[in-house]
Amino acid sequence: MGKEMLDIAKQALQLAKQKGAAEVASKTSLEREVTVSWRDGKLEKISEASTRRLDVDLYVDGRYTSMSTSDLRPEAIGSFLDNAIGLTRTLSPDTNRSLPAPALYEGQARVDLELEDPRHSALTAVDRRTKAQAIEAAARTVKGSDAIISVTTAFYDGHLETYRVHSNGFEGSQNSTYYSAFAEASVRDPSGRRPEDYDTVTVRFYGDLPDVAQLGRSAAERALGSVGAKKIPSAVTSVIVDNRAAGSLLRRMMGALNGNALQQKRSFLEGKLGATIGSRLLSIDDDPLLPRALGSRLYDGEGIAARKRPVFEGGALKSFFIDTYYGKKLKVDPSSGSASNLTWKLGSKGQEALLKDMKNGVLITSWLGGNSNDTTGDFSLGFKGFAVRNGVIAEPIAEMNLSGNHLETWKKLVAVGNDPYLYSSNRTPTLVFEKLQVAGT
Amino acid sequence: MNRRAFVELGATALAGGLLGCGSAPVTPGALEMPSAAGAKPSADAARVNYFGRFGVDEGMIRETLGAALSRGGDYADLFFQHRVRNHFVLEDGEVNRAYGRIELGVGVRVVKGDQTGYGFTEELTRDALRRAAQTAAAVADGPSRTGPQAFHVDALPQRYPLNVRWDDVKPEQKLPILTGINANALKADARVKKVTVTFMDEAGAILIADSQGRLIEDVQPMTVLSVSCVAEHNGRREQNSYNVAGRSGLDFYSRDRLDRVVREAVARTVILFEAVEAPVGEMPVVLGAGSSGILLHEAIGHGMEADFNRKGVSIYSDKIGKPVAKPFVSIVDDATNEYARGAINVDDEGNPAGVTTLVDKGILATYLHDAISAKHYGVKPTGNGRRESYQHAPMPRMRSTYMLPGPHKKDEIIASVKKGIFCSSFSNGQVSIGAGDFTFYVRNGYLIEDGKLTRPIKDVNLIGNGPKALEQVDMVADDLVIDEGGWTCGKDAQSVPVSQGIPTVRVASMTVGGRAQKKG
Repeated sequence: MGKEMLDIAKQALQLAKQKGAAEVASKTSLEREVTVSWRDGKLEKISEASTRRLDVDLYVDGRYTSMSTSDLRPEAIGSFLDNAIGLTRTLSPDTNRSLPAPALYEGQARVDLELEDPRHSALTAVDRRTKAQAIEAAARTVKGSDAIISVTTAFYDGHLETYRVHSNGFEGSQNSTYYSAFAEASVRDPSGRRPEDYDTVTVRFYGDLPDVAQLGRSAAERALGSVGAKKIPSAVTSVIVDNRAAGSLLRRMMGALNGNALQQKRSFLEGKLGATIGSRLLSIDDDPLLPRALGSRLYDGEGIAARKRPVFEGGALKSFFIDTYYGKKLKVDPSSGSASNLTWKLGSKGQEALLKDMKNGVLITSWLGGNSNDTTGDFSLGFKGFAVRNGVIAEPIAEMNLSGNHLETWKKLVAVGNDPYLYSSNRTPTLVFEKLQVAGT
Repeated sequence: MNRRAFVELGATALAGGLLGCGSAPVTPGALEMPSAAGAKPSADAARVNYFGRFGVDEGMIRETLGAALSRGGDYADLFFQHRVRNHFVLEDGEVNRAYGRIELGVGVRVVKGDQTGYGFTEELTRDALRRAAQTAAAVADGPSRTGPQAFHVDALPQRYPLNVRWDDVKPEQKLPILTGINANALKADARVKKVTVTFMDEAGAILIADSQGRLIEDVQPMTVLSVSCVAEHNGRREQNSYNVAGRSGLDFYSRDRLDRVVREAVARTVILFEAVEAPVGEMPVVLGAGSSGILLHEAIGHGMEADFNRKGVSIYSDKIGKPVAKPFVSIVDDATNEYARGAINVDDEGNPAGVTTLVDKGILATYLHDAISAKHYGVKPTGNGRRESYQHAPMPRMRSTYMLPGPHKKDEIIASVKKGIFCSSFSNGQVSIGAGDFTFYVRNGYLIEDGKLTRPIKDVNLIGNGPKALEQVDMVADDLVIDEGGWTCGKDAQSVPVSQGIPTVRVASMTVGGRAQKKG
């Protein structure tokens, strides 16, 4: 199948050039995904899907469009390109639009990122069903499990092939696999609430899947742990954010690092390269070259060779995420328009020790909605979790909110855990802040 | 896979730089609807019209349904979809980029009890369809059942007929809308420095055929226009946006609407320079008419989706027939608002879509059903079985959710609050189904001090609990507005377009997630 998809990408590129495009980036992808979900002792849903797609970036008469289709019949691709090129010609010219300079394609790392598990094709329907079933069974073994109303589990996995060719010389392909296991438990709360919580893991290699029984137990324990949750008084207090939740808080700031936000004056970080944004503990690299990691890649979405680089170092902002287009508009060199894996300079302590150090405050275990303003840095986010008293987890809390401004909040980062969350490309450890505003009663 | 569900404005998603659109290589051919409004159902009308251009015919459909039922499922359906979406973006004064996306495919679903098998393919050939059907069939394990030998079609209402379909509108007719808005927004206020305009149009069609012999085609247009402004004043910057959406054609963009889009986008941005920190803690909240319908979407809408109740995991699972709100509170989910973003002629399982009453004079009335949950509860489907695309199985989803007008007046409601906030525009919300806790994010609002709107506030999340918040709705005005914004609802990683609305209401107490300490 791979050869065929690469050929489609190449043919579309040639055809687009024949039809008048000056430059073309052509990408095809083929993805197969299987999902098995299981609920309360029986199969809930199975689905199996193969998706195919052709994406072309067209540069015609100094004008630009990006088009995509799932209709890959040869005759359909011809009329797709005719229409796309015709549409491109109706737009305004833009001298900043071009493919990346070929020099940026050079210097790809010579490493095996190990993103494709050769064993994937051997996985059977029975393997998947057995996993999903085992996760549920484990969830029902925890203490207090008679309060469980329902357990939904799932196992899903996929294989993705992508092929990219550019008219100025780039050619690449990246194949990858993934496996995810998921469990969610809903439990009875005497108050009438039916709190739910979940746990999930995603890995590249089947052999890297942790004990899925532990996943089921963790989902059930998390849900049972939130029985009786209530809001507590509003306060300015110390806040510890669980490693699974901490990545979202960081992501709320990342939008402002984007070239588009900078050029459009929608970034509170504009002009702050080198400035102190956080405490000295804010040290984060963008590292695309970690074997088996979820955000790893040899080249980015524009074909630019991937390199490790610092984003924050000792609190100082070290780099932005700038693609070719906004690089030209901003008159700076492009880095990459998107993050790969975000990795922290870790602390030495786990969450338990960090709780002891913090003594009193709140532990945030998950977020509920809210938003962050890239232009001003203001954010306001719903959360649930636990009160922390005398260094230990106390009663569960919910219906609470955290608010602040990124320019102040990250300076209040007082500790970083040794426990990065590995089931995301945003590998954030437990984070501890002091003096943040939480809202409740 | 997280059961949490959310809603957000199209603009939120657009801001991230989106992909997807496609100038449509649609084979020319007149579109004939299976039946126009008022036409009598007739076996003769049951033929493939729109999808005939892709080689789909009745024989292929019969064969595929046969394969789907080959292992004894109770029920099977096919969902063909062709969707062509274009985005045009104006930035720095020029419409200098477009994104397009073409989707073509068919999903095959087999249902056995409340178990679902699903497969889809993007190759509309007999072989590929048979393979997808066999995948879906595997959910059952019994003797083969026969599929339908003949198809029939029921008359569909026509809630979004267009004079000119988007496939026939030239880019040259769309581009002046974007450039005009840019010029007017920059002219409207000297503080406006950057304007981004995104224009989306979509020509879509679906065909649903099922093992009961139904065969239905619907043509589903959509358009969204979104304007974002960045303003500068005294060294400070603020950004805000406004957008409008509907299942409409080019004539949706009347002079009046385009003027309003500019006026709202600019006004919502520049007022932020005057905004003070929002307060923190519990207080009365007055929600302005229109987009505050987000309260209903999060506080009750998702919790009333019958799949959550069938599984017993919704906070509303045991509340049907019970009082949940004051007697002057009635809430509906309505598919019939002509040209609304949340309107549908038929749901994605082929069931008629009308008005479903969620709360009738304070009493919890009906869940939102798809075919599986309707069968589970022994009721008729409510036409809420919706899906993002042929890649997804349907589930109960909202359409246009709003509260009916009540007995109070807007001014009277504001005057009743000594210290609280008034909220007028929102960007997104989210709910935790079982706990019932929900949030929604306010972009614009005002402090209410001694019964009067005083200083503007911005960027604050409100947080509450569904049933408690409904009980606390203690005043409802007579000024219902169904919001014209481009709301998108997410659930189990599937997005569908929705509408929402509400009159001005007072919620006696909610937690406001601001930073200014409550005084007095």
